[in-house]
Amino acid sequence: MTGTIIAIGAAVAVLTGVGAGVGIGIATGKAVDAVARQPEAEGKISKNLILGCALAEATAIYGFIIGLLIIFFLK
Amino acid sequence: MNCKTVFTIPVFGGIAVDEGVVVTWIIMMVLALLSILFVRNLKVENPGKVQLALESVIEWGENFFKDIIGEENKRYIPWLMTVALYLACANLIGLFGFKPPTKDLNITAGLAIMSMLLIEYSGIHKNGVKHWCGHFAKPVPLVAPIMILEIFIRPLSLCMRLFGNMLGGFVVMELVEQVVPLFVPIPLSFYFDIFDGLLQAYVFVFLTGLFMNEEME
Repeated sequence: MTGTIIAIGAAVAVLTGVGAGVGIGIATGKAVDAVARQPEAEGKISKNLILGCALAEATAIYGFIIGLLIIFFLK
Repeated sequence: MNCKTVFTIPVFGGIAVDEGVVVTWIIMMVLALLSILFVRNLKVENPGKVQLALESVIEWGENFFKDIIGEENKRYIPWLMTVALYLACANLIGLFGFKPPTKDLNITAGLAIMSMLLIEYSGIHKNGVKHWCGHFAKPVPLVAPIMILEIFIRPLSLCMRLFGNMLGGFVVMELVEQVVPLFVPIPLSFYFDIFDGLLQAYVFVFLTGLFMNEEME
């Protein structure tokens, strides 16, 4: 029974991935828009895009780590 | 998935040496040997092909980091380049059958603590202790607790980002290899091992440089 509850807890923690997915999607869409408007600035745009994606991804990573911690330490 | 202890040093009641540390030693040895090998016989007059390639790579790296932390702070560039090189090797070593050492939280935490010390040191070195103490109350004194917390949050997020990405990639690859051991892991390995590893190495040094830049203003 506790195993099921722990699994549900880990699943809720991993829901943080939703935010990162939406954020990276919006950022990529805007970057594509920017490249279409100004193709010559592609280098700078993709550099900033990668940085922003890495920062946005951090929330998903925190959720993943919390999920792992729940599974490993709540037995 | 957990880090195994390879051997124990029999002093002070036994110091356990983890797998990640041994792999780090291997990377250190390879990098040191390569540096000694490449730096031998450097010439000013008609340089060889190896020297020209090496010079262009180092110059590219220096320009890359100069863009981040600025021309006047180039004394920190060798450290940033060393960390980038180590992280790139550490994240790609999974391809050679080792476990990547960045999958161990202790190693990323060590790197992040070094980054934290360097970030604060660079600010103190550039602007002096008085300015460093004063900058916590910069816009309004009300934000001082948050600014002090930021000292610890920045390395925490650096460490967790690197660790979580590498461990996540590792877990996903292991799961895929258990379900379909043939062909399917190859394109995934390109993403999780090569692209993600290099991207995280880049992001780690990029953010360290960015924070140093912020601190040195």
